[in-house]
Amino acid sequence: MEEQEAPFPFNMIEGMMPMFPMMAVVGWMIVLIAFLIGATGLASSQATFFSDAKAIREGAAAGSAFVRANIDSHVIETWVPQFKFLGLGLGLMAITMALGTIAKRLRRMGMVISRHLPADLRSAMPPIPRRVRLFQLSTLMGVMILVAALVIGIVLATGAVPSYWNHSIANDLNPAQPGSELLAKLGLVSSFADWLNPLRLVGMAFLFTAITLALTVIIGTLRTQAAMLVRFYAEASGRR
Amino acid sequence: MDHLTPPAPAWQMKVFPLFSLLGWVLILSSFLIGLIGLAPTAASYWGGNAKAVRDAAEAGSALLGQLQVLSVIPRWLEPLAFLGVAAFMTGIALEFSTIPAVLKNRGQVMSACFPLIVKLGGK
Repeated sequence: MEEQEAPFPFNMIEGMMPMFPMMAVVGWMIVLIAFLIGATGLASSQATFFSDAKAIREGAAAGSAFVRANIDSHVIETWVPQFKFLGLGLGLMAITMALGTIAKRLRRMGMVISRHLPADLRSAMPPIPRRVRLFQLSTLMGVMILVAALVIGIVLATGAVPSYWNHSIANDLNPAQPGSELLAKLGLVSSFADWLNPLRLVGMAFLFTAITLALTVIIGTLRTQAAMLVRFYAEASGRR
Repeated sequence: MDHLTPPAPAWQMKVFPLFSLLGWVLILSSFLIGLIGLAPTAASYWGGNAKAVRDAAEAGSALLGQLQVLSVIPRWLEPLAFLGVAAFMTGIALEFSTIPAVLKNRGQVMSACFPLIVKLGGK
Protein backbone atom coordinates (compact mmCIF):
# COMPACT_ATOMS: atom_id res chain seq x y z
CA MET A 1 0.00 0.00 0.00
CA GLU A 2 2.98 2.30 -0.37
CA GLU A 3 2.52 5.45 -2.47
CA GLN A 4 4.41 5.78 -5.74
CA GLU A 5 7.23 8.29 -5.60
CA ALA A 6 6.28 11.74 -6.97
CA PRO A 7 7.80 12.72 -10.36
CA PHE A 8 10.60 15.29 -10.66
CA PRO A 9 10.68 18.07 -9.38
CA PHE A 10 7.93 17.19 -6.90
CA ASN A 11 10.00 14.34 -5.42
CA MET A 12 12.64 16.93 -4.54
CA ILE A 13 10.07 19.20 -2.91
CA GLU A 14 8.52 16.30 -0.99
CA GLY A 15 11.98 15.27 0.17
CA MET A 16 12.51 18.76 1.56
CA MET A 17 9.12 18.93 3.29
CA PRO A 18 10.17 17.34 6.61
CA MET A 19 12.91 20.00 6.89
CA PHE A 20 10.32 22.70 7.62
CA PRO A 21 11.50 23.51 11.20
CA MET A 22 14.99 24.28 9.89
CA MET A 23 13.55 26.50 7.15
CA ALA A 24 11.49 28.41 9.71
CA VAL A 25 14.60 28.98 11.86
CA VAL A 26 16.63 30.12 8.81
CA GLY A 27 13.82 32.52 7.84
CA TRP A 28 13.67 33.93 11.36
CA MET A 29 17.45 34.35 11.44
CA ILE A 30 17.39 36.25 8.14
CA VAL A 31 14.82 38.67 9.57
CA LEU A 32 16.94 38.98 12.72
CA ILE A 33 20.06 39.77 10.65
CA ALA A 34 18.05 42.40 8.71
CA PHE A 35 17.04 43.95 12.04
CA LEU A 36 20.65 43.96 13.28
CA ILE A 37 21.92 45.55 10.06
CA GLY A 38 19.22 48.24 10.40
CA ALA A 39 19.92 48.81 14.09
CA THR A 40 23.68 49.02 13.67
CA GLY A 41 24.77 49.78 10.08
CA LEU A 42 21.85 51.88 8.86
CA ALA A 43 21.29 53.71 12.15
CA SER A 44 24.97 54.62 12.54
CA SER A 45 25.36 55.81 8.94
CA GLN A 46 22.23 57.96 9.27
CA ALA A 47 23.56 59.35 12.56
CA THR A 48 26.89 60.19 10.89
CA PHE A 49 25.27 61.81 7.87
CA PHE A 50 22.94 64.00 9.93
CA SER A 51 25.63 65.02 12.42
CA ASP A 52 26.34 68.37 10.76
CA ALA A 53 24.57 71.27 9.02
CA LYS A 54 22.93 70.67 5.63
CA ALA A 55 25.44 72.90 3.83
CA ILE A 56 28.37 70.93 5.28
CA ARG A 57 27.01 67.42 4.63
CA GLU A 58 25.78 68.23 1.14
CA GLY A 59 28.97 70.07 0.26
CA ALA A 60 31.18 67.20 1.40
CA ALA A 61 33.35 65.73 -1.38
CA ALA A 62 33.40 62.11 -2.56
CA GLY A 63 35.48 60.01 -0.18
CA SER A 64 34.52 62.05 2.87
CA ALA A 65 32.82 60.49 5.90
CA PHE A 66 29.52 62.17 5.01
CA VAL A 67 29.45 60.81 1.47
CA ARG A 68 30.48 57.34 2.69
CA ALA A 69 27.71 57.41 5.30
CA ASN A 70 25.20 58.49 2.64
CA ILE A 71 26.29 55.65 0.34
CA ASP A 72 26.02 53.11 3.17
CA SER A 73 22.48 54.29 4.01
CA HIS A 74 21.27 53.99 0.44
CA VAL A 75 23.01 50.66 -0.19
CA ILE A 76 21.53 49.11 2.95
CA GLU A 77 18.07 50.45 2.11
CA THR A 78 18.38 48.88 -1.35
CA TRP A 79 19.13 45.26 -0.48
CA VAL A 80 18.18 44.69 3.17
CA PRO A 81 14.37 44.96 2.67
CA GLN A 82 14.60 42.32 -0.10
CA PHE A 83 16.66 40.12 2.23
CA LYS A 84 14.12 40.59 5.04
CA PHE A 85 11.22 39.58 2.77
CA LEU A 86 13.13 36.46 1.71
CA GLY A 87 13.29 35.57 5.43
CA LEU A 88 9.54 36.10 5.77
CA GLY A 89 9.04 34.03 2.63
CA LEU A 90 11.06 31.14 4.06
CA GLY A 91 8.84 31.32 7.16
CA LEU A 92 5.73 31.03 4.98
CA MET A 93 7.39 28.25 2.98
CA ALA A 94 8.00 26.38 6.25
CA ILE A 95 4.29 26.67 7.08
CA THR A 96 3.36 25.31 3.64
CA MET A 97 5.81 22.44 4.01
CA ALA A 98 4.43 21.64 7.48
CA LEU A 99 0.89 21.55 6.08
CA GLY A 100 2.10 19.35 3.22
CA THR A 101 3.68 16.97 5.71
CA ILE A 102 0.44 16.85 7.72
CA ALA A 103 -1.54 16.10 4.53
CA LYS A 104 0.87 13.30 3.64
CA ARG A 105 0.63 11.75 7.13
CA LEU A 106 -3.17 11.98 7.03
CA ARG A 107 -3.21 10.09 3.74
CA ARG A 108 -0.91 7.43 5.17
CA MET A 109 -3.13 7.16 8.26
CA GLY A 110 -6.15 6.71 5.97
CA MET A 111 -4.30 3.91 4.15
CA VAL A 112 -3.54 2.16 7.45
CA ILE A 113 -7.19 2.34 8.56
CA SER A 114 -8.36 1.20 5.14
CA ARG A 115 -6.02 -1.82 5.34
CA HIS A 116 -7.81 -2.95 8.50
CA LEU A 117 -11.25 -2.88 6.89
CA PRO A 118 -12.67 -6.10 5.39
CA ALA A 119 -11.72 -6.24 1.71
CA ASP A 120 -15.34 -6.28 0.47
CA LEU A 121 -16.21 -3.17 2.51
CA ARG A 122 -13.03 -1.28 1.65
CA SER A 123 -13.34 1.78 -0.64
CA ALA A 124 -10.64 2.39 -3.23
CA MET A 125 -8.03 4.97 -2.16
CA PRO A 126 -8.73 8.23 -4.00
CA PRO A 127 -5.82 9.57 -6.12
CA ILE A 128 -3.55 12.30 -4.75
CA PRO A 129 -5.40 15.61 -5.36
CA ARG A 130 -4.01 17.83 -8.12
CA ARG A 131 -3.93 20.67 -5.62
CA VAL A 132 -0.93 19.03 -3.95
CA ARG A 133 1.19 19.71 -7.04
CA LEU A 134 -0.32 23.19 -7.34
CA PHE A 135 0.60 24.23 -3.80
CA GLN A 136 4.11 22.84 -4.24
CA LEU A 137 4.55 24.83 -7.47
CA SER A 138 3.05 27.95 -5.89
CA THR A 139 5.53 27.68 -3.00
CA LEU A 140 8.46 27.35 -5.40
CA MET A 141 7.23 30.27 -7.48
CA GLY A 142 6.85 32.50 -4.41
CA VAL A 143 10.33 31.75 -3.10
CA MET A 144 11.87 32.17 -6.57
CA ILE A 145 10.28 35.64 -6.92
CA LEU A 146 11.65 36.64 -3.50
CA VAL A 147 15.11 35.35 -4.45
CA ALA A 148 14.90 37.27 -7.75
CA ALA A 149 13.94 40.46 -5.84
CA LEU A 150 16.97 39.95 -3.58
CA VAL A 151 19.28 39.42 -6.57
CA ILE A 152 17.94 42.62 -8.22
CA GLY A 153 18.43 44.44 -4.89
CA ILE A 154 22.03 43.22 -4.64
CA VAL A 155 22.77 44.16 -8.27
CA LEU A 156 21.46 47.69 -7.64
CA ALA A 157 23.20 47.92 -4.26
CA THR A 158 26.55 47.06 -5.79
CA GLY A 159 26.12 49.06 -9.01
CA ALA A 160 23.93 52.06 -9.69
CA VAL A 161 23.17 53.04 -6.08
CA PRO A 162 26.74 53.47 -4.71
CA SER A 163 27.90 54.80 -8.06
CA TYR A 164 25.27 57.58 -7.96
CA TRP A 165 25.64 58.56 -4.30
CA ASN A 166 29.49 58.56 -4.37
CA HIS A 167 29.46 62.26 -5.26
CA SER A 168 29.16 65.57 -3.50
CA ILE A 169 25.44 66.37 -3.33
CA ALA A 170 25.85 70.13 -3.72
CA ASN A 171 28.73 70.17 -6.21
CA ASP A 172 28.05 67.09 -8.42
CA LEU A 173 24.56 65.68 -7.95
CA ASN A 174 22.44 68.82 -7.75
CA PRO A 175 23.95 70.55 -10.82
CA ALA A 176 23.58 67.42 -13.01
CA GLN A 177 21.92 68.26 -16.33
CA PRO A 178 19.39 66.26 -18.39
CA GLY A 179 21.15 63.69 -20.54
CA SER A 180 24.01 63.32 -18.07
CA GLU A 181 24.93 59.92 -16.69
CA LEU A 182 24.29 61.14 -13.15
CA LEU A 183 20.72 62.20 -13.84
CA ALA A 184 20.02 58.93 -15.69
CA LYS A 185 21.23 57.05 -12.59
CA LEU A 186 19.04 59.25 -10.38
CA GLY A 187 16.08 58.19 -12.52
CA LEU A 188 16.98 54.54 -11.93
CA VAL A 189 17.67 54.75 -8.18
CA SER A 190 14.49 56.78 -7.59
CA SER A 191 12.17 54.49 -9.52
CA PHE A 192 13.12 50.85 -8.84
CA ALA A 193 11.35 50.73 -5.47
CA ASP A 194 8.04 51.53 -7.17
CA TRP A 195 7.93 48.12 -8.83
CA LEU A 196 10.39 46.06 -6.77
CA ASN A 197 8.51 46.49 -3.48
CA PRO A 198 5.16 45.29 -4.90
CA LEU A 199 7.01 42.46 -6.69
CA ARG A 200 8.01 41.11 -3.26
CA LEU A 201 4.36 41.07 -2.31
CA VAL A 202 3.52 39.13 -5.49
CA GLY A 203 6.00 36.51 -4.22
CA MET A 204 4.26 36.54 -0.84
CA ALA A 205 0.88 36.16 -2.63
CA PHE A 206 2.12 32.93 -4.23
CA LEU A 207 3.16 31.65 -0.79
CA PHE A 208 -0.20 32.59 0.77
CA THR A 209 -1.94 30.83 -2.12
CA ALA A 210 0.18 27.74 -1.42
CA ILE A 211 -0.90 27.77 2.25
CA THR A 212 -4.54 28.17 1.18
CA LEU A 213 -4.29 25.23 -1.22
CA ALA A 214 -2.46 23.05 1.32
CA LEU A 215 -5.26 23.68 3.82
CA THR A 216 -7.90 22.71 1.26
CA VAL A 217 -5.97 19.45 0.72
CA ILE A 218 -5.96 18.71 4.47
CA ILE A 219 -9.64 19.59 4.92
CA GLY A 220 -10.56 17.64 1.77
CA THR A 221 -8.61 14.58 2.96
CA LEU A 222 -10.33 14.64 6.35
CA ARG A 223 -13.76 14.97 4.75
CA THR A 224 -13.10 12.19 2.22
CA GLN A 225 -11.87 9.84 4.94
CA ALA A 226 -14.91 10.65 7.10
CA ALA A 227 -17.21 9.93 4.13
CA MET A 228 -15.44 6.60 3.50
CA LEU A 229 -15.80 5.59 7.17
CA VAL A 230 -19.47 6.62 7.23
CA ARG A 231 -20.05 4.42 4.16
CA PHE A 232 -18.22 1.56 5.86
CA TYR A 233 -20.30 2.05 9.04
CA ALA A 234 -23.57 1.96 7.10
CA GLU A 235 -22.62 -1.20 5.18
CA ALA A 236 -21.03 -2.97 8.17
CA SER A 237 -23.97 -2.16 10.47
CA GLY A 238 -26.35 -3.80 8.00
CA ARG A 239 -24.23 -6.95 8.00
CA ARG A 240 -23.99 -7.15 11.83
CA MET B 1 -25.00 6.20 16.39
CA ASP B 2 -27.56 5.44 13.70
CA HIS B 3 -27.29 8.87 12.11
CA LEU B 4 -23.59 8.94 11.43
CA THR B 5 -22.84 11.55 8.75
CA PRO B 6 -19.75 13.15 7.23
CA PRO B 7 -18.96 16.70 8.43
CA ALA B 8 -21.53 19.28 7.32
CA PRO B 9 -20.37 21.73 4.62
CA ALA B 10 -18.98 24.89 6.25
CA TRP B 11 -19.82 28.41 5.02
CA GLN B 12 -16.18 29.39 5.50
CA MET B 13 -15.17 27.08 2.64
CA LYS B 14 -17.40 29.07 0.29
CA VAL B 15 -16.13 32.46 1.46
CA PHE B 16 -12.36 31.92 1.70
CA PRO B 17 -11.76 31.78 -2.11
CA LEU B 18 -13.25 35.27 -2.37
CA PHE B 19 -10.69 36.59 0.10
CA SER B 20 -7.84 34.83 -1.72
CA LEU B 21 -9.06 36.29 -5.02
CA LEU B 22 -9.33 39.75 -3.45
CA GLY B 23 -5.76 39.37 -2.17
CA TRP B 24 -4.50 38.60 -5.68
CA VAL B 25 -6.46 41.48 -7.23
CA LEU B 26 -5.16 44.05 -4.72
CA ILE B 27 -1.52 42.89 -4.79
CA LEU B 28 -1.37 42.53 -8.59
CA SER B 29 -3.04 45.94 -9.02
CA SER B 30 -0.47 47.61 -6.79
CA PHE B 31 2.36 45.87 -8.66
CA LEU B 32 0.99 46.94 -12.05
CA ILE B 33 0.32 50.52 -10.93
CA GLY B 34 3.90 50.66 -9.62
CA LEU B 35 5.40 49.10 -12.73
CA ILE B 36 3.37 50.89 -15.40
CA GLY B 37 2.44 54.13 -13.63
CA LEU B 38 4.82 55.15 -10.88
CA ALA B 39 8.20 53.81 -12.04
CA PRO B 40 8.18 55.50 -15.49
CA THR B 41 6.90 58.73 -13.91
CA ALA B 42 9.68 58.63 -11.30
CA ALA B 43 12.32 57.84 -13.92
CA SER B 44 11.09 60.72 -16.08
CA TYR B 45 10.73 63.24 -13.22
CA TRP B 46 14.04 62.53 -11.47
CA GLY B 47 16.08 61.40 -14.45
CA GLY B 48 14.86 63.88 -17.05
CA ASN B 49 15.03 67.22 -15.24
CA ALA B 50 17.81 69.12 -13.52
CA LYS B 51 17.27 69.96 -9.86
CA ALA B 52 16.99 73.68 -10.65
CA VAL B 53 14.19 72.98 -13.13
CA ARG B 54 12.36 70.67 -10.71
CA ASP B 55 12.62 73.21 -7.89
CA ALA B 56 11.40 76.05 -10.10
CA ALA B 57 8.31 74.21 -11.37
CA GLU B 58 5.24 76.47 -11.32
CA ALA B 59 1.73 75.61 -10.17
CA GLY B 60 -0.15 73.76 -12.93
CA SER B 61 3.04 72.63 -14.70
CA ALA B 62 3.50 69.05 -15.86
CA LEU B 63 6.52 68.68 -13.58
CA LEU B 64 4.55 69.60 -10.49
CA GLY B 65 1.82 67.22 -11.63
CA GLN B 66 4.40 64.42 -11.79
CA LEU B 67 5.66 65.32 -8.32
CA GLN B 68 2.08 65.16 -7.01
CA VAL B 69 1.60 61.72 -8.56
CA LEU B 70 4.88 60.49 -7.02
CA SER B 71 3.95 61.87 -3.60
CA VAL B 72 0.25 61.01 -3.46
CA ILE B 73 -0.13 57.54 -5.04
CA PRO B 74 2.38 55.67 -2.81
CA ARG B 75 0.46 56.94 0.25
CA TRP B 76 -2.50 54.69 -0.63
CA LEU B 77 -0.86 52.15 -2.91
CA GLU B 78 1.22 50.45 -0.24
CA PRO B 79 -1.68 50.17 2.25
CA LEU B 80 -3.75 48.75 -0.63
CA ALA B 81 -1.15 46.01 -1.21
CA PHE B 82 -1.12 45.20 2.51
CA LEU B 83 -4.92 45.06 2.42
CA GLY B 84 -4.37 42.28 -0.10
CA VAL B 85 -2.02 40.51 2.33
CA ALA B 86 -4.69 40.87 5.04
CA ALA B 87 -7.30 39.40 2.66
CA PHE B 88 -5.11 36.31 2.15
CA MET B 89 -4.65 35.95 5.92
CA THR B 90 -8.40 36.24 6.49
CA GLY B 91 -8.99 33.51 3.93
CA ILE B 92 -6.43 31.26 5.63
CA ALA B 93 -7.97 31.93 9.06
CA LEU B 94 -11.43 31.04 7.69
CA GLU B 95 -10.09 27.75 6.37
CA PHE B 96 -8.45 26.94 9.71
CA SER B 97 -11.73 27.72 11.49
CA THR B 98 -13.42 24.75 9.78
CA ILE B 99 -10.88 22.19 11.03
CA PRO B 100 -12.16 21.78 14.65
CA ALA B 101 -15.64 20.76 13.43
CA VAL B 102 -14.14 18.34 10.88
CA LEU B 103 -11.92 16.77 13.56
CA LYS B 104 -14.85 16.52 16.01
CA ASN B 105 -16.85 14.68 13.38
CA ARG B 106 -13.86 12.48 12.62
CA GLY B 107 -13.64 11.51 16.29
CA GLN B 108 -17.34 10.60 16.38
CA VAL B 109 -17.11 8.60 13.15
CA MET B 110 -13.97 6.80 14.29
CA SER B 111 -15.40 5.89 17.70
CA ALA B 112 -18.50 4.46 15.99
CA CYS B 113 -16.50 2.56 13.39
CA PHE B 114 -13.77 1.23 15.66
CA PRO B 115 -15.78 -1.65 17.24
CA LEU B 116 -16.90 -2.69 13.75
CA ILE B 117 -13.35 -2.60 12.41
CA VAL B 118 -12.20 -4.77 15.34
CA LYS B 119 -15.10 -7.18 14.85
CA LEU B 120 -15.08 -7.45 11.04
CA GLY B 121 -11.51 -6.60 10.13
CA GLY B 122 -9.06 -9.41 10.40
CA LYS B 123 -5.71 -7.67 10.19
